[in-house]
Amino acid sequence: MLDLLLRGFLQRKLRVILTAVAIALGVALMSGTYILTDTINSAFAGIFTIANKGHDVVVTPSQRLGSRVRSQVSPIDEAMLARVRSVPGVAEASGSIFEFAALLDTHGKRLTTGGAPAFVASVVPKRFESFSPVSGRLPAGAGEAAIDQFTAERTSLKLGRQIVVAGSAVARRYTIVGIVQYGGAQSFGGAAAAVLLLGEAQRVTGELGRYSQLDVAARSGVTPQALRARIRAVLPSTVEVRTGAQQAAKETTTLEENLSFLRTFLLIFAYVALFVGAFIIFNTFSITVAQRTREFGLLRTLGSSRRQILRSVLFEGALLGVGGAALGLLGGILLAPALDELFKSFGADLPTSGTVLHTRTIVVSLLVGLGVTLLASLLPARRATRVPPIAAMREGVELPRRRWLRWRPRVVPALARAVGALVAWRGITGRLARENAIRQPGRTMVTAAALTVGLALVAFVAVLADGTKATIDQAVSRSFAGNLIVESSQSGGREQGIPALIAPALRRVPGIATVTPIAFTVGRPRGSSENATITAVDPATFGQVYRIEWKQGSSATLQALEANGAIVSEGYAKSHRLKVGQTVTLLTPTERHVSLIVSGIVTDRTRLLGNMTISLALARAAFGQREDALDFVKYAPGVSNAQVQPVVDRVLAQGFPQAKSRTAAQFKQEEGEQINTLLALIYVLLALSVIVSLFGIVNTLVLSIYERTRELGMLRAIGTSRRQVRQMIRYESVITSLIGGVLGLVIGVVGAVLVTTFALSGSGFVQSIPLGTLAILLVVAALAGLLAAQLPARRAARLDLLQALAGE
Amino acid sequence: MSAADSNLQDKIVAADSVCRRYGEGPAAVEALTDVTVQFARGRFAAIMGPSGSGKSTLMHILAGLDRPTSGTVTLDGTELTGLDDRRLTLLRRDRVGFIFQTFNLLPVLSAQENILLPLSIAGRKPEREWFDRLIDTIGIRDRLSHRPAELSGGQQQRVAVARALISRPAVVFADEPTGNLDSKASGDVLALLRQAVDDFSQTVVMVTHEAHAAGFADRLILLSDGRVAHDGDGSSVEAALERVKSGD
Ligand SMILES: Nc1ncnc2c1ncn2[C@@H]1O[C@H](COP(=O)(O)OP(=O)(O)OP(=O)(O)O)[C@@H](O)[C@H]1O
Ligand SMILES: [Mg+2]
Repeated sequence: MLDLLLRGFLQRKLRVILTAVAIALGVALMSGTYILTDTINSAFAGIFTIANKGHDVVVTPSQRLGSRVRSQVSPIDEAMLARVRSVPGVAEASGSIFEFAALLDTHGKRLTTGGAPAFVASVVPKRFESFSPVSGRLPAGAGEAAIDQFTAERTSLKLGRQIVVAGSAVARRYTIVGIVQYGGAQSFGGAAAAVLLLGEAQRVTGELGRYSQLDVAARSGVTPQALRARIRAVLPSTVEVRTGAQQAAKETTTLEENLSFLRTFLLIFAYVALFVGAFIIFNTFSITVAQRTREFGLLRTLGSSRRQILRSVLFEGALLGVGGAALGLLGGILLAPALDELFKSFGADLPTSGTVLHTRTIVVSLLVGLGVTLLASLLPARRATRVPPIAAMREGVELPRRRWLRWRPRVVPALARAVGALVAWRGITGRLARENAIRQPGRTMVTAAALTVGLALVAFVAVLADGTKATIDQAVSRSFAGNLIVESSQSGGREQGIPALIAPALRRVPGIATVTPIAFTVGRPRGSSENATITAVDPATFGQVYRIEWKQGSSATLQALEANGAIVSEGYAKSHRLKVGQTVTLLTPTERHVSLIVSGIVTDRTRLLGNMTISLALARAAFGQREDALDFVKYAPGVSNAQVQPVVDRVLAQGFPQAKSRTAAQFKQEEGEQINTLLALIYVLLALSVIVSLFGIVNTLVLSIYERTRELGMLRAIGTSRRQVRQMIRYESVITSLIGGVLGLVIGVVGAVLVTTFALSGSGFVQSIPLGTLAILLVVAALAGLLAAQLPARRAARLDLLQALAGE
Repeated sequence: MSAADSNLQDKIVAADSVCRRYGEGPAAVEALTDVTVQFARGRFAAIMGPSGSGKSTLMHILAGLDRPTSGTVTLDGTELTGLDDRRLTLLRRDRVGFIFQTFNLLPVLSAQENILLPLSIAGRKPEREWFDRLIDTIGIRDRLSHRPAELSGGQQQRVAVARALISRPAVVFADEPTGNLDSKASGDVLALLRQAVDDFSQTVVMVTHEAHAAGFADRLILLSDGRVAHDGDGSSVEAALERVKSGD
C-alpha cells in the first residue's frame, strides 16, 4: 500500500510540489517570525547582561503606570543618591542618565532613520561603564561626545566631527571624541546613542540634579540581595530597587513583551497564509479524490475497507504536511533575515546575532504544517471512503454531495457569467474559458476563495486606512483654528515630545499671536487598573486655536481647568459614570494623587483630547510632565504664512532641530503618508497569502487540464492553435481570480464598513472607500490570474496530440 | 488544364512510401512500412485491417496529426512534410474534418455550438444556408440547444458529423465512427457519410472494423502489418477480407 502511495506521489510530482509549497509558505512565515524574534531577544538579552555586569544594585523609577509613559521628570535626585551612599555595605554609588533625545548632524538631519530611537547617556564610573570605546575615548570635556559604532558607520561620522544633541534644552553641538559599543554590541536595536559628561547629559535632557538610574556596587562580603534589601528600606516607592541580575532579567522581559507585539503581528499574517494554504490542500485533495474515484472503487472491489481508504488518503496528507512543513522551516530560516530587512526598510532596525532556532520553532512548525494539512484533507478523505465498489465498473459515478456544500455553486455561475462576459467577446476561447470555469462551480469557488481571503483582508485594511485618513483630514479641518502645528520631526514621534522651551521662543516671533502647547500624559483613576489618557492644555489660549465640540460646557469651561478642573470625553464619562461636578482622584506617573472636578464633557470626535483634559500647569506640577507633544501656532490677523513659517523654521533649526512646523495641509498630507507606510508593510505581508492562493489556482488548472486532456486533444485536432489553447487557459484563470477578487473586495469593503459603523460609531470615524485602490486591486487580481496560468497554459499547449486523443 | 494536373487535382490526399516507426533500436515497432495510397476527390474510402495493423497510424499521418518517419504526404495540394506546427494546425482547421470513435463533443457547449466550433476557432461566420441544409440533412434541428449529455450516442455522433462537415473541408477523416454505436445508430451515421459524399461531393476516409460499415464505401483498403494488402472497390469487402485472412 505504501509502495503504491509513493509511486502515486512520484507520478503526480508537480501537484505534490505545488501543494507542499502552498503549506510551506505559511509555515515559512511562522517559523521565520519565531526565528527573527528569538534572535532579537537573544541579542538583547546578551546586551543587557553585559550592560548590567558591574552593577550589584540598580535603582530606577518605578513606572507603575507603565514604561511607555515618557518625558516624565525622574524621581531620582541628589538626595536619594546621598541616602544610598550612606547605606552600610555600599562601596560605590553613582547616578547616570539614559534618556531619549534627538541626535542630528550639523545640517539638522537625524542620525536615526524611520522610527528608531536615539538616546543620551552619561559617562559613569569605570566599574559601571557599559560603553566601551572601539576607537578614540569617552568624553572628558563638556563639549565632547562619544557615539555608538553602528550609527557612526551608517552616517560615516568620524572622530573630530560634530553632532547636535537636542533634548529638553536648547540644542548644542558636541565634538566626537570616541566611537563606542554598548554591552559589546555594534547595534542597539538600530538606536543611536551619544555619551556625554554627566552634567551635560543632565542639562540636555532637562534633568539637572536628577538621574535616570542609580548604579550601586557592594563592598566585598555583602551580597547584592542583602544590599538590595537595605537600599529598598531607605527609598520611597517612586523607585524600584533591583540587583544587577534582576535588572537584566527585567529589561529582557520588558523587551520581550514589547517584541511580542511584533511577533503577534507577524504571526497573524502567517495564520492567514496557512488558512489560505488549507483551502488549497482541501481543493487539491477534493479534485484528486474525484479523479481517482475509479481507483478507489477498484480498491474497494478488491476488498479494501473504508478505513484503509481513509488511512491511505490521510497518510498522503500527512506526508505532504510534514514535507511542506519541513520545506517551510527551511524557508523560515531564509525568511527571517528577509523579514529583518523588511522592518529595516520600514525604519525598525533591531539587533540580531546569527540565527536562533529553538526546538520550539521546529516542533511548532512541523505540528502546524501537519495539522493544517491533515485537517484540510479530512473531508476529501471521507468522501473517498464513500466511493462504492461499483464505481470501478462505471464511468462518472457521482458522489453524494453534502447539503451545506450546495449553496456555493449557485454564486459561482452567476459571478462567472458576469466576469466571463469580460472575456466572452474575445471569441470562442473566452467563451470556452467561461464555460469551463462554471463547469465545476464548487472547485472554482474554493480555488477563488483562497484568493478571496487575502484580497478581503487587503480591501479591509485599505478601507480602514482610507477612512482613518479622511477622519484625520476632517478632524483637522473642523477643529484646528490655527496656522501651524509644531511637533517632533521623528516619524510617528508625537510621543517623543518637544522641549517646553519652544513655545516661549516662538511667542517672540513677529506676526505670531498665539502659541499654545499641548502635552499628553496618563493617570490612573482610583480603583481602576487601566490608565486614562490625558491631554494637558493651556486654558487661557487653547480655545483660540482649537474648536472644541462640547457636549456639556462651553469655552468658559476651559477656565475651570485652572482650578483642578477636568474635561472628560463623552465615551469615557459614560463608561466610568462621570457627571459634571463629580470628583475623580488620579494616581499620576510621579506617584502623586490628585483630585479633579469634572467641569465639562466633550464629544469623542474631538480626538486630540484624551479621556480627560487638564491644565498644563497641573501636568507639570503633579504629573512630572517635562516636555510638550505639540505647539499650535496662530498668526496675528493679516499676516501671511510666507512671512512667518520661514522665521519659525529658522528658530526651530537653531535651537530645536528635532521639531518642525507644518501647516494644516502639510500635516494632513504627512499623516496620510505615515498611514500609507504602515499600509505598505501590511500589503507586503498579505502578499504572501495571495501568492499561496496563486499556487492554488495553478494547481487547480493543472488538475483540470489533466481531466480535460481528451477535449484539448480534440480541440487541437480540429484546428485550435497552441496560442488559442494558452489563451483559453489564461482566460479561465483570470475568470477564477476575478471571482476571487470581486468576492474578496466586496467582503473586505462590507466588513470594514460594518466594523467601522458599529465599533467606531460616535467616534467621528469618516467612511471613505478608496475606489482607485480597489480598482487597482482588481487589476492585480486579474494579473495574478494571468501569472498563475503561465505554467498550466504552457503545459496544455504542449500536450501531445495523439496521446491526448488516445485519452490515456 | 493538363491531364497530369487534373490527376493531381483528383487525388486529394496522397501518401508516398510512408513509413512510421515507433521507438529506437531493436525495440522499435514499424507501424507502417512503405505505404503508398491516393484518395480521390468526392469519394468514400474505407480502411480496414486487424487490430494493430496501423489503420489509426495511417489516418493520423494523412490528417497531419502525426508525422511519418519517412515518405511524404500531400493534402489538397499541400505537402505536409516540413510544415511546422502552426501551419499544420491551420491546415487541419481549414481543410480537414474529424470524426472520432468517442464523439469528442465539448460537454460545455450546446449541439449547435459544437457544430459551429471549427468556424468559431477560425473566427469565421457560418453560412446560414449551408448550416440549415446540413442540420436538416442530419436531422437534429430540434436538438440544437441541447448539451451533449442530453443527447443519445447516435445523436452525438451525428452532431460530430455535422461539425466535421460545417467548414466544407477538403477531406473528412473518421476513425471507427460507429465503434461505440448500436446497429441502428451506426446505419444512420454511415448513411449520412454516404450522403455527404453523394450530395455534397465530400471526400471521406473512414477507418472501420466492421465489414458492414465498409459496405457503404466506394473503395476498400486493407492494411496488414503496416502494409497495404488490398486496394479495390467496396463491393468486394467480404472476398477481400477472406483473402487477407487466408493470406495470414
Ligand atoms: N505511441 C506509440 N508508441 C509505440 N507503438 C505504437 C504507438 N502507437 C501505436 N503503436 C503501435 O503501432 C502499431 C499500429 O497501431 P495502430 O493504433 O495504428 O493500430 P490500429 O490498426 O489502429 O489498431 P486498432 O484496430 O486496435 O485500433 C501497433 O503495433 C501499436 O502497438
Ligand atoms: Mg485504431
